[in-house]
Amino acid sequence: MKKKLGALVALVLLFSVGVSAQRTTTLKLNEVLVVNNDNYQDGYGSKSPWIEIFNNSAGSVDLKGCFLTTDKNNPTMYMIPKGDVQTKVRPYQHMLFWADAKPGRGTFHTNFTFDPTKANYLALYDSDGKTLIDEVTIPASQTADVSYGLVEDGVSNWVVLSNITPSTNNRTLDSNEKIENFKRNDPTGFGMTLTAMMVVFLGLFILFAVFKLVGNIAVSITKRNAQKQAKATGTEVSNTGEEAGEVFAAIGMALHEFTNNMHDDESTILTIRKVQRNYSPWSSKIQSLRETPKRK
Amino acid sequence: MHESLFSFLGENLQMFLSYTGFANITFGHFVMIILGLIAIYLAIAKEFEPMLLIPIGFGILIGNIPFMDAGLQIGIYEEGSVLNILYQGVAQGWYPPIIFLGIGAMTDFSALISNPKLMLIGAAAQFGIFGAYMIALQMGFEPNQAGAIGIIGGADGPTAIFLASKLAPNLMGAIAISAYSYMALVPIIQPPFMRLLTTKKERLIRMKSPRAVSQTEKIVFPIVGLLLTCFLVPSGLPLLGMLFFGNLLKESGVTRRLAETARGPLIDTITILLGVTVGASTQATQFLTASSIKIFALGALSFVIATCAGILFVKFFNIFLKEGNKINPLIGNSGVSAVPDSARISHTVGLEYDPTNYLLMHAMGPNVAGVIGSAVAAGILLGFLM
Repeated sequence: MKKKLGALVALVLLFSVGVSAQRTTTLKLNEVLVVNNDNYQDGYGSKSPWIEIFNNSAGSVDLKGCFLTTDKNNPTMYMIPKGDVQTKVRPYQHMLFWADAKPGRGTFHTNFTFDPTKANYLALYDSDGKTLIDEVTIPASQTADVSYGLVEDGVSNWVVLSNITPSTNNRTLDSNEKIENFKRNDPTGFGMTLTAMMVVFLGLFILFAVFKLVGNIAVSITKRNAQKQAKATGTEVSNTGEEAGEVFAAIGMALHEFTNNMHDDESTILTIRKVQRNYSPWSSKIQSLRETPKRK
Repeated sequence: MHESLFSFLGENLQMFLSYTGFANITFGHFVMIILGLIAIYLAIAKEFEPMLLIPIGFGILIGNIPFMDAGLQIGIYEEGSVLNILYQGVAQGWYPPIIFLGIGAMTDFSALISNPKLMLIGAAAQFGIFGAYMIALQMGFEPNQAGAIGIIGGADGPTAIFLASKLAPNLMGAIAISAYSYMALVPIIQPPFMRLLTTKKERLIRMKSPRAVSQTEKIVFPIVGLLLTCFLVPSGLPLLGMLFFGNLLKESGVTRRLAETARGPLIDTITILLGVTVGASTQATQFLTASSIKIFALGALSFVIATCAGILFVKFFNIFLKEGNKINPLIGNSGVSAVPDSARISHTVGLEYDPTNYLLMHAMGPNVAGVIGSAVAAGILLGFLM
């Protein structure tokens, strides 16, 4: 009973660890524009400061119930409303909030704004209002229409960005860096071949070493057991673990004889041949479920 | 009245004719239909991998029935069409892992477990993949395309489709057809190189009988195999994970029904869907390009390189092995993962020189190691190039 309970607890723990990977902890504050004079505008035509949040995971994350705040002592300053399907952030995608202190304008308009004259603290809290997901302090004296954000989405350092990229990647990827790197540094493919073959060999060599060891242990255990049994019964120990080659040869020979020396040259495909017989239960009207209806 | 009716009927008939295949056929469609018929002929008359070539060949016919692109949602590349929905398993790469589940559930790794040094042959034969990768780069393919083409040398259709769907989706049709065609042609491609690279003395080497493998070892193998290979190459997880999972279903002894489903109805269903949709994806407009011809040439070359690499590695390995422990180099070709065809070829060629030397059980070792090796190689390419 205790064992079963332990296994259940372990499973629950494992499951909760797996689930947490797709939760709000993967969200990142990604880019902020404090002074918006002539930049991106909202659906009302207003140019307000904005906050971009990035989902740095391969699963969708729902922001509903999370909190945005500019006050460390008040983590629940603005709750992202529940019941709006648009609060779900798709994998590796962004969501933009307008810090315009006009929450009446909808889900994505916060009840606070930034003070451009001083450093602004910004934090994202989980729906319990206690767990800090991410925070940043935006330095004072931000230039108008220049955003402050992570160099690359979800990772690296906060800097003043050269390009303002609301709801898109902070660093635009117009090529696959890995491929470009290979083209530049390994045009013949020799490097890739050498590395990959080493990894393939290493992988299979480790398997070889482990199973060599496992095999040796298995053989010695089998021998020991056989010896014990022989002592108990007083019989002679046979060559355990090593099957006689003759056995395999006999099996192989039988297979060979069967496949190559048969009288008919058949393709070993099973077929159903029509039986030359007038009556068969398969075609019997008496036996079938669909008899011709008879009027009584 | 009559005139207008006739002209109405005439217009309708003309419109109907413009929708028929006859009105829309191009030379490309014609060529592809011939290719499809050849595949079906080879499958039925010559019995070259009929399980693969029949669905693929018929799929080629399905995919190359010419039609007017009028938004009728009939083509495989038309979003929402039935064929397109079935094709998602190929395009998104989830058919191959299910096939690997079935392969795992039907493969007996005993030969490999009893003589684990044969695993290294499976590793050596993967040089076919990277040899073809290097040549493809020289022929002007991008590294990701070269990787997807090179994997043909692994002689593993599901892996080739999986990798191509990730690295070079636009080349997937040609890569899949090439991989499966050459797998079917393994009995023709491999024997000449096996004879060329071995001496008569080597061909007569008799290998030590494999020992009996305990049930515990068979159960440990998929678990340890998964942990070791996937910790090393996590990008191989979809294929290796399912392969070893299927094998555990088989060997655990307590999940017989699941194992039977995996190696029976499930793999058959997916093979049908995969074959027919891969075939149908070879629409002439997408398939008949200079790249496809290059891919076919590179595919053949990769099989040759893989075969030679396996055989030469065995010869090299034999230098370090004691007399009595030596490996017959005729099983070197089995390092490619065309299971069990290449192992059967080792056996058949071996019998030509010594009718009492049964190599099949020995050749199955590198053969299944080749499956693991090609999945690991695919994982490496995916990790490096995606």
